Amino acid sequence: MMQSSPLNVPRAVVWLGRLILGGIFVYAGYAKLAYPNHNLWPWFLLKFSVSANLSTFAFQVESYKVLGPGGSSFVAHTLPFVEIVLGLLLLTGWKLRVWATMVSAILVGFLTVVTRAYLLHMDINCGCFGTPEPLTLMTVIRDATLVLLALVMTIFAYQEARKPHPWTARQ
Amino acid sequence: METFSDFQCPACKQLYLTTNRQLNDNYVVTGKVFEIHRDFPLAGHAYSRIAARYGRAAAALGKFEQVEQVLFQNQEKWEQTGDVDGTVASVFSPADMTKIRATVKTPAVEAAIEKDIALGKTYSVSQTPTIVIHYKGQTFPISGVVGYDALHAFLDQLLSSR
Repeated sequence: MMQSSPLNVPRAVVWLGRLILGGIFVYAGYAKLAYPNHNLWPWFLLKFSVSANLSTFAFQVESYKVLGPGGSSFVAHTLPFVEIVLGLLLLTGWKLRVWATMVSAILVGFLTVVTRAYLLHMDINCGCFGTPEPLTLMTVIRDATLVLLALVMTIFAYQEARKPHPWTARQ
Repeated sequence: METFSDFQCPACKQLYLTTNRQLNDNYVVTGKVFEIHRDFPLAGHAYSRIAARYGRAAAALGKFEQVEQVLFQNQEKWEQTGDVDGTVASVFSPADMTKIRATVKTPAVEAAIEKDIALGKTYSVSQTPTIVIHYKGQTFPISGVVGYDALHAFLDQLLSSR
């Protein structure tokens, strides 16, 4: 008899989490590089657009007043690439526990700064997806939902890893 | 090069303080770039439009740069109090302020702002700041806080292209 089914709840949550969070992370990273300026050709214009987009994102990071200009610039120039790579790794499912833990940690960090800004009534843009998006209660709720999904996915990923795989388990 | 800007927008302040000043020194003063300020007051900013009116009124006296500087540098103060008039008055003589206050109320000033907004919409401007660069019949709209180094490289590339 199979010890677990591919359709059990934890496995389904892990799959959903991978697809939703992986997709969101890839899109969030791409959007920060590609918006608001979306020019693909010629090469110097593409380069300028990406540079302008990252400068704008750096300004949005700095507007949270958590990091100085140097720290904000560093975050702005690394985070989009980290998001894309982590999103792709989540989607592949390879070493899921490691990447799920990292995604959860990053999302907890996002939720912390977003909640802080909301409670301080900071009139700023969220900086989440490249385009201007005012930070509101909805932003906090959305981030909290993603954190919840990431944490549940991570916990289930660890639990599922301890169980034998349903297709390779002895009958 | 047209800069669609909003005096109450923090990103516009950042662009003005970090990029536009260097751009002015290295490209505008030297005659390589002709820059035009365009008003694009956003609806979400309570005092943007009145600030734009003061900018326009000062421009009628040929003193736009002074208003631009004082409004951006003191943005965090007047956006709290709404005291645009007092902020502008701090850099003008009483005689100039009398002229500016009279001009601020004229329909022509409001019409000029509306004209800029309408022009911005033809370029699909949806956020501030947005720079629209025109060169040899081509138009390049760039939104957000563009760093000077990136803009400098872009302009040099553009100016050297045939």
